Amino acid sequence: MDFELDVEQRAWLAEVREFLRDNVTPQLRTELAQHDLEFPGGEVARFRRKIGEKGWFGLNWPREYGGLGLGAVHQHLLMNEFEYWGVPGPDLTVTSVAPMIMRHGTEQNKSEWLPPIAKGEIICAVGYSEPEAGTDLANLRTRAVRVGPEWVINGSKIWNSGAQRATHEWLCVRTDPDSARHRGISVIIVPVDSPGVQIRPLYAWSGYRTNEVHFHDVRVPLTNLIGEVNRGWTYITGALDLERGALTNAGDLRRALDDLHELARRPLRDGTVPAHSTALRRRLAHAEADVEVATLMGYEAASILDSGVIPTVEVSVEKIFTSELRQRIADLALDLLGPDGLLAHRSHDAPLAGKFERLYRAAPLMRFGGGTNEVLRDIIAQRGHGMPSYGR
Amino acid sequence: MKAILTSEQREFALSLRALFSAECPVSLVRALAEPGADRSISTLWKALAEAGVFGLAIGEEYGGSGGSLDDVAVFYAEAGRALCPTTVHSTVLTALAIDQLGPPAAKAAWLPALAGGSARGTTALYTARDAAVIAPVLQANPAAAGSWRLTGTADYVADADVADLIVVSAKDTTSGQTLVFIIDAHAPGLSTEQLAMAGGHPAFTVGFADVAVTADGLLGDGDSEPSLRRVANTAVVLGSLDLVGVGQAVLDHTVDYTKLRHQFGRPIASFQAAQHLIANMHIALAAARLAAHSAVCRIARGHIATRETAIARMHAATAARLITLDAHQLHGGIGYVTETDLHLWTERARLGSTLGGGADVAASWLEESMDERERR
Repeated sequence: MDFELDVEQRAWLAEVREFLRDNVTPQLRTELAQHDLEFPGGEVARFRRKIGEKGWFGLNWPREYGGLGLGAVHQHLLMNEFEYWGVPGPDLTVTSVAPMIMRHGTEQNKSEWLPPIAKGEIICAVGYSEPEAGTDLANLRTRAVRVGPEWVINGSKIWNSGAQRATHEWLCVRTDPDSARHRGISVIIVPVDSPGVQIRPLYAWSGYRTNEVHFHDVRVPLTNLIGEVNRGWTYITGALDLERGALTNAGDLRRALDDLHELARRPLRDGTVPAHSTALRRRLAHAEADVEVATLMGYEAASILDSGVIPTVEVSVEKIFTSELRQRIADLALDLLGPDGLLAHRSHDAPLAGKFERLYRAAPLMRFGGGTNEVLRDIIAQRGHGMPSYGR
Repeated sequence: MKAILTSEQREFALSLRALFSAECPVSLVRALAEPGADRSISTLWKALAEAGVFGLAIGEEYGGSGGSLDDVAVFYAEAGRALCPTTVHSTVLTALAIDQLGPPAAKAAWLPALAGGSARGTTALYTARDAAVIAPVLQANPAAAGSWRLTGTADYVADADVADLIVVSAKDTTSGQTLVFIIDAHAPGLSTEQLAMAGGHPAFTVGFADVAVTADGLLGDGDSEPSLRRVANTAVVLGSLDLVGVGQAVLDHTVDYTKLRHQFGRPIASFQAAQHLIANMHIALAAARLAAHSAVCRIARGHIATRETAIARMHAATAARLITLDAHQLHGGIGYVTETDLHLWTERARLGSTLGGGADVAASWLEESMDERERR
């Protein structure tokens, strides 16, 4: 057991940091601060192209699929660093969708989709949840019917984040209406610009944009189906494990706490220095202990992945731990900053331009997004300890 | 970085589990807590000595197997799971203290017997309430020919009744320096009196009335404070792994019980409320395990590792409390009666998360390390 980076891992981390130093420009920071990821054709797009040129979208893919053949630890270190810097890195298309194509796709699926994903040319929005199928995902109703050489798709998806920036939908559909629940589900890739796709924005409390997407007689070639028909449930549960692993590194938490340590030593508007309070110092220490553990959990999950196993239970633990910790840190920050903490996001009077005011509104998302923490607790009990399903 | 146990470590853990299952049944643990019990545990001791447990991280030249502190960590987790008598831990820690503090001559003199299991030891190097308090409680008065006379009282010394030697720190009355000595536990002037503690924990008040020590009993002097802190941190972190083992045992027992116990026509394990308590226990244990192994890794690389030690103890103490108390809740009445044995682990958890310092004390160490980082 070893928690310290070896020579080669340290060199990798240095390379990632150098890339970020060179490419996270003031212009990129300004665009991200003003528009998040929603400014088409600007600095974010340029930054993504540079990541693509480095081959980092496929960094842990096998070389035969155009990847760099590096491991999960490399991937984790990179993601962690990007999160620390607050810039967009490899997204779910490369961390969750592509590995499922490699694992379960037909040869045609692989040659058609993997090379453009590796170059960053294809970005998928993940279409799982529906208005009547959220936590109970197996209840999904969006239908795909085979008509001649095409699938014809009808239905709706919700919480379809990033659809406005995506080129394609990684869509979970019912292909056999007579099979029960988990059986009869398939995965089909659908170009977002197909006739009959309609995207409606939903804005969240944090300002985050997600979408409701409607599919009305949308037609795609039969070959857009991934792997085998009616086997999609296995694919997406595997993809969800990878998604949770990718979503749950502790880079942003480390950054938030570093920022908070810094703010705690500066006088607030009324002259109070938060770090002089014993109670707040104690809460900072507890947050410090928890962020350290969140970091170790990320190392553990990456080490397990590198040993060839999908760490289903471990990423559930990690996802619950990091998401609840994010909320605790946001809460601590607002308690620590007092009224200064409520100066609004993007206002220049606010400490760190209101980073923590927004974090308080952003943190609830990850407690239910990517699988509610309640269902993940069921997974820990049932898959980790063999406790019986209660009929979910 | 490879943050999972190696296959060798997993095999070692399994072999220890088999050893404890054969040689350390709960009946033995219960018998040891009875007044007047024979605390020599000779069969278990012999089996552990043959398994090389006492010299895991001691160099081969001193009779150990030349492994690392990581291996000791694996042992501690299994020992906690099996409620292994603490006299084993006390001897392991004595050897580690001598190894970390002593000059080669002292190591050559003392380590082979400890590492081979033919001698037993204990230590009094920090206060039981707060392991960061390493200021000596004993006084060392210089006597003739480089020898010393020790006076004072050390409190909460574990397993002093079965120890052959005790490693203590004492303040040089002339120079004010902190010195470390190895004392014969049967030396004239040394007295032990047992403290009656929860769970029958064998702690003693050890009195030193002008106990004579010759020059070769002096283990270290001068700038021993950082080294003593590292020894204390080693003990706290390994103790945290004992708590991880306790937590794992309790979690496993509790899951088994919820599957067997039926109410409303179904196992209580099928209720989501029960599953979520188990999941919370699992999460707390995962945090404690990772934090403890990471701290061991840091200490093994020669660091004092106060930050990592603090984090390990905060999480281990918190997890041990949560797991044992929620285990009682899930067991209900049947876990409350002593014939179920659950309380034995709960008492071990409470002792382990008190001795050396609990979560609050450990949080103060972390604050100390946070302040140091700010000053840099």
